[in-house]
Amino acid sequence: MSSTTALRTLLRTPASLRLLLLQTPRSTYHSYDHAEQPVYREAERTILSSALAHVPIHGFTQEALTLGAKDAGYLDISSNLFPKGTFDLVKYHLVSQRLGLKDRIQFPDENFGVGRKVRNLILERLRANVDTGIVTRWQEALAIMSLAENIPASLRELGALADEMWFLAGDTAVDASWYTKRASLSGIYAAAEIYQTTDQSTEYRDTEQFLDRRLEELRTVGGAVSGTLGWAGFQAGAMVNLLRSKGVMI
Amino acid sequence: MASLSLRTSRHLATSTRTTAPWICQSCCQSRTFASSVSRNQQPPPPPSHQDPTQPPLPGTRQDDAPTHFGFSTIPSTLKASRVANVFSSVASSYDTMNDLMSLGIHRLWKDHFVRCLNPGIRPTGPAGLRSESTKEEGQRILDIAGGTGDIAQRMLDHATTVNKDMKTHVTISDINPEMLAEGRKRFAGSDYQLAGRVDFLEANAENLSTIPSNSIDLYTVAFGIRNFTHKDQALREAFRVLKPGGVFACLEFTPHLSNSVLDGLYKRWSFGAIPLIGQVVAGDRDSYQYLVESIERFPGQGEFRDMIKEAGFLVPGQEGGEGEKGGWEDLSLGIAAVHKGVKPV
Ligand SMILES: C[S@@+](CC[C@H](N)C(=O)[O-])C[C@H]1O[C@@H](n2cnc3c(N)ncnc32)[C@H](O)[C@@H]1O
Repeated sequence: MSSTTALRTLLRTPASLRLLLLQTPRSTYHSYDHAEQPVYREAERTILSSALAHVPIHGFTQEALTLGAKDAGYLDISSNLFPKGTFDLVKYHLVSQRLGLKDRIQFPDENFGVGRKVRNLILERLRANVDTGIVTRWQEALAIMSLAENIPASLRELGALADEMWFLAGDTAVDASWYTKRASLSGIYAAAEIYQTTDQSTEYRDTEQFLDRRLEELRTVGGAVSGTLGWAGFQAGAMVNLLRSKGVMI
Repeated sequence: MASLSLRTSRHLATSTRTTAPWICQSCCQSRTFASSVSRNQQPPPPPSHQDPTQPPLPGTRQDDAPTHFGFSTIPSTLKASRVANVFSSVASSYDTMNDLMSLGIHRLWKDHFVRCLNPGIRPTGPAGLRSESTKEEGQRILDIAGGTGDIAQRMLDHATTVNKDMKTHVTISDINPEMLAEGRKRFAGSDYQLAGRVDFLEANAENLSTIPSNSIDLYTVAFGIRNFTHKDQALREAFRVLKPGGVFACLEFTPHLSNSVLDGLYKRWSFGAIPLIGQVVAGDRDSYQYLVESIERFPGQGEFRDMIKEAGFLVPGQEGGEGEKGGWEDLSLGIAAVHKGVKPV
């Protein structure tokens, strides 16, 4: 894909997502780079993972964080270890599920194409939201992520997830299409995840079909990536309105 | 200057109003007033008065090693009494001094400081899943250099009204009996005093021997630590008295603003005008001169963060970062900063 196409994609992307596309390219983009830094210290890890266990009942709240601290042998006041409070809890789920993806995924045979691998990876990552029991609370997490001060970190994490997926799918090429691939996968994943939070169907079949329509769109229309992104941006806006109408303060 | 302070306080006021009081994260992150611009012009640390490779054994401190009193160097033994004198002389005009130094916004900083700490134990869920016994006890808070009880009052108010906690207790401690007397006056006959939720302790922060180890949930020190002769010793005492999981929290002026132009302006104000105003308002130029200089002598945020780690605390945020990422939070362009540490379990 030429650089002009990349530029056009960038310009058509909703302003809130542009930042993601503008990150400086690295010579290699797979997640071993991210994993090299010790992501969480022992105390943070035990408190946050205990706290996540309280999310199905208490939501992504200060309560869950406090209960997690108590479970880990800490005090109510110890949640001061997390300067961003509930966003730190959300981010912990994002980071740990991104890093855990490589252990969850198994491709049935070698002949799986990159496209099918990506589809499986997205579904597997979405399944992690169900398995950890947080999917019913994920709208709250999206609301927290959409607060102005949390948007940059949330987009960075979404970009890292897309990198990880392309890497696990075996596509390690870093070329002119890199931005586009990263952006399209990020956009599709974000849209599918938002869809998942409202999905009432058995075993999230509707989400799966929704995902397939988006992937098909990408395959057939190709350059219409920006359309998908625009759609995701629109959905994010709609999401905020939906939550506001439910009385969530954002 | 007036317009700057006005604008900043309006920002603060807005963020205060729009934030749900029980959600700490949104207030702690509010970019409108927490700036974490990196500071590159950190001056070399002031010469240490102790050989860092040879920590003195307890009780054998070289007590006559010279230390700083503002910009004049005096023997350590004298510093505590000189500081005591300063605060005796400014005790009554003390609020004026804080207003001058903080451009009038120290009250908002204190509100923010307390709101983010979120003291008090909240009931969990409508059914109160929390065992009653924890709720019975409340928290033990120690407000060091608590002087007039400004922070203590906010802690108790927050615990009571926001977290519906009627038990949490604050000990106000200060080296200076006259400052403590102001605090006693403030709480005399109050509900908190009647309920036995506040008491007073005259003590040097470097030696809290009357307070048992592992007994405190939250240790706070607001605009106090820069006056301590041996800050490292005070940090070690904080670590000792805190329970595992307990929190050390410090609100303090910073020696340099993140923006060098503003820093120059602010220096002119603080070094030029404040001692003069001190003379006019309180008839005491020297004490105000000392207060201004003691800020200049205080370590920069990164250095102070390292001292907190050195004492054994876990510092929020990542290694080596600046601002919130590095374990502290700058307030109002970095005129002041909040540092925290958690005692590991
Ligand atoms: C600027 S006042 C702060 C009062 C109050 N925390 C506030 O924020 O309004 C500093 C206080 O530190 C106290 N102080 C100075 N050196 C001390 C020490 N070594 N131990 C305990 N308190 C000390 C002084 O007596 C004074 O009351």
